[in-house]
Amino acid sequence: MQLFGQILVNGILLGGLYGLMGLGMGLVWGVLKIVNLAHGALIMLGGYALYFLYTKAGVDPFLGLPLAMLAMFVLGYLLQTLLLNLIVRSAQLNTLLLTFGLDVVFVYMAQLLFTADFRTINPPYAGKNISLFGVTVPYAQLGAFGVAVLLAALLYLVLDKTRTGRAIRATAQNLVAARLYGVNPKRIYAITFGTGAALAGAAGGLYGIVSQITPYIGVTLTAKSFVIAILGGLDKPLGVIGGGLVLGIAEAMAALYLDPTYTDIISFGLLVLVLIARPAQLLGRA
Amino acid sequence: MRPTKFLVLALALALSGAASGQEKKIALGAAVQLTGRLANTGRYYGDGYQITVDKINQKGGVTVGGTKYQLALRIYDSQSDTNLGVRQYVQLLTQDKVNFLLGPFSSNDALDDSSVAEKYQVPMVQGGGASTQIFSRGYKYVFGTLPPADDYFSSTIKMMGKLDPKPKTVALVAADDSFDVSVANGTRKLLKEAGLELVVDKQFRENNADFSSILSLVKSKDPDVILWAGHEGEALNFIRQAKSLDVNPKLFYSFTVGVPTADFRKALGKDAEYAFGMTPWLPEKELEDDWFGDAEQFDKEYQARFKYSPDYHAASAAADVETFAKAIAAAGTLDPKKVRDEIAKVEFQSLYGHIKFQPNGQISLPQTVIQIQDAKVVPIYTEDFIGKPRYPIPPWSKR
Amino acid sequence: MNRFRWLVLPVAAGALAAVPWVTSDTIVQYGINALLVATLAQSWNIIGGFSGYPSFGNSVFYGLGTYGTAIAMAQLHWSFGSGLVFGAVLGVACALLFGIPILRLRGPYFAIATLGLAAVMSAIIATVEIAGKNIGLILPLFRGDTLFYELSLILLVAATATVAWIARSRFGVGLVAIREDEDAAQVMGINTTMYKVAALTVAAFFSALAGGIHAYWITFIDPASAFDPSLNVRMVIMTLFGGPGTVLGPVLGAFVLSAVSEVLASQATGVASLFYGIVIVAAVVFMPKGLLDVVQGFRESRWRYFTDNIRRYRL
Repeated sequence: MQLFGQILVNGILLGGLYGLMGLGMGLVWGVLKIVNLAHGALIMLGGYALYFLYTKAGVDPFLGLPLAMLAMFVLGYLLQTLLLNLIVRSAQLNTLLLTFGLDVVFVYMAQLLFTADFRTINPPYAGKNISLFGVTVPYAQLGAFGVAVLLAALLYLVLDKTRTGRAIRATAQNLVAARLYGVNPKRIYAITFGTGAALAGAAGGLYGIVSQITPYIGVTLTAKSFVIAILGGLDKPLGVIGGGLVLGIAEAMAALYLDPTYTDIISFGLLVLVLIARPAQLLGRA
Repeated sequence: MRPTKFLVLALALALSGAASGQEKKIALGAAVQLTGRLANTGRYYGDGYQITVDKINQKGGVTVGGTKYQLALRIYDSQSDTNLGVRQYVQLLTQDKVNFLLGPFSSNDALDDSSVAEKYQVPMVQGGGASTQIFSRGYKYVFGTLPPADDYFSSTIKMMGKLDPKPKTVALVAADDSFDVSVANGTRKLLKEAGLELVVDKQFRENNADFSSILSLVKSKDPDVILWAGHEGEALNFIRQAKSLDVNPKLFYSFTVGVPTADFRKALGKDAEYAFGMTPWLPEKELEDDWFGDAEQFDKEYQARFKYSPDYHAASAAADVETFAKAIAAAGTLDPKKVRDEIAKVEFQSLYGHIKFQPNGQISLPQTVIQIQDAKVVPIYTEDFIGKPRYPIPPWSKR
Repeated sequence: MNRFRWLVLPVAAGALAAVPWVTSDTIVQYGINALLVATLAQSWNIIGGFSGYPSFGNSVFYGLGTYGTAIAMAQLHWSFGSGLVFGAVLGVACALLFGIPILRLRGPYFAIATLGLAAVMSAIIATVEIAGKNIGLILPLFRGDTLFYELSLILLVAATATVAWIARSRFGVGLVAIREDEDAAQVMGINTTMYKVAALTVAAFFSALAGGIHAYWITFIDPASAFDPSLNVRMVIMTLFGGPGTVLGPVLGAFVLSAVSEVLASQATGVASLFYGIVIVAAVVFMPKGLLDVVQGFRESRWRYFTDNIRRYRL
């Protein structure tokens, strides 16, 4: 029973971080209809940003997180303005091609600039933990979980309550109509992609705290983010966090009660099942 | 890896080939992972081959039947793509006309690439694949300088018999790829022979980043020892997550990879302390070498040139080049079949260790048990204790 | 144009068939790879280009073909021919079995379901005893790269001929109708489910055979290489690069991109992937409708074709 509780907590904490990974991808996909294959690379770059803030400038990782996010926001804003906007109106699949190319370039640049060495963001409290009812709760993972939920809630509020947020949602539904109401699509597109990149950056920083950064972590994380974004309903922040939790818990349970080699079967099997079982609901959206 | 370096290298190679028509050359070729997923370890092979080739040339090259030859090295970046690697090996043989092949990193790559050597009947000496699969398919042209995977933990398990307090229960955690399955199968047998009880035996999926479930299970079984087999990145995650979940083996834990690697210790910082591991090679003065003097000298020159420390991968790569130098000199010809037969017979002392291939083509080297103490790798045990272990290791809360 | 095209194809195929006899082993080696990925791109074109279903799971069929052949040869000691058949049967069976539920999904949801399917299949194979679990399987060594080359060529020609037939058949018209507006197609009386499943099955057949040839050529396979998701991305990229929904676009795209990446890998080894990425980014920006469209567009408006593209598709 104690073991079950521990696994559940592990799954939830991991799931929060998963949710954060899916958040940026879902937003960009849902609003801009861009399936961003460079999402994992953005996560990776965010990880490096926080790593250098911590090791070179000595900024506490959790305090440095907004700075890393800001840097990633600027990168995302520029990418959309200078590059992605050029092809927005061609065939939708072309965004796949473009972001794939970007992914290759980012990974290469990261290796060139940062080498293939393993990097960990390792503040003194990273390995510390607290024991509650016999369940060990690590501080760093708990912090990452908190940040993820906070950012999701924030994104939800921004989309729902602010002018810019409403403009983003209007753009997602109907670009032409949104234009009629005075929305400047170039700006909205850039802000949305920038926000997606910033969220990816946050996920990357937290990933560096609980795991490690290398130029090559992106591929797996892009695939995971895909799954989570779909499970959670794309641009619905709270749903995406839920999707992350489901995946995190399912993986943790599968690793213990089935076999650790089954985690991929579970996570992707779950995805296929969800898609097949509720297509009516999804078809309406797609 | 610096691209400019390779451009310069390629250019230098092309120029030297054009300029020195009268100088005789023996060309060695390899496709190694200089970029991509495996670049972190792949670089040891690119750099290890290069420094050894240069050293041998500097000391006069190789004498073949009375004529002096210089070694030339042709390296391609396989971008951690196995398919590309295979094509590049064919290109090396048929287009670049290299005389002999050096290997890539990793067992899976060696499995594919060694087929090219066998197909064209040109010997390949590879220092990057340890899986027994490579040597059990009856190939005649493949030689390996990493010790067999199933023996990796044998010195560790022998040491366990002499430790005080003596460990009784073991948790075995291993990845599910070719190399690590070989390690796990060998280890299970060794544990049984030693009369140790296996309380956790879990396999995890390659490239897995999350060990929380396995760690929680290990914690609930409270084993004396954790034996772990996988890749460096995973080992890093395992240790970090063990700390954050406060999972401690009662006596010690040991890892197949990572511990001898400087980059690994740096990334973990203090958390790397006390970890046991193994290596077939340490940069010691006793390992004498015809070209570098000894292993310590090799270590120094390598660091000075590439700005990072070599580990056993780099030494194994150096031994591959030296094996060719010895075998070609002994054969007195560049004929691939004759050189192959000489490689099978070769026996010499190198900076990497005593080089002699078993009939299946693989080398046999004892693994030295090592431990990280005060950020340094300390040799602990080979046939008997050669260093003082910090044992049992303290739990995370007391560090 | 039509007569011209039919004349060119056999000549081109004949010239390609002569490659092993007039060039080097290296070219043959790269040729095998280019022909196999071109076959994969062409197969993807049937489901992704014609019916507009962006599959990210075609590597599942490739992987099953790989494993079918490998299991037959390494574990059951069958001949290469029966291995290929066994692999193709596995691929086709998978397409039929999963085609119906998955093809009900549309757009990105379909893409993700296929991606998931590929990942699940790879993970399942990694736990199956007869498939060698995650350690992989070793096939016997065969010194006959010419055979592999010619087989790959025959496969590509067959796939291209099939696509050429589809392009002018009722079946193809139905697929395009589905791509343009599936609901309307259904109203018009097209059995959309049957059409889509048929398209996926044909794609699966060719992909599985490509996997089988590759398995015997490379001699060692494991789940990670057989079900490599980046292979999937490559099929899509190459088809889009050449021109999706056309007969020759995917082949052209695959040949050009393979050549670019191979030349880079051997001439600029070390910076190859960087240039490859830049080529792709530039290609999408300047020629978003694929290589085939460039041929026509360039004739009409010369260099302005490229800037016009940007003007037309930017926000």
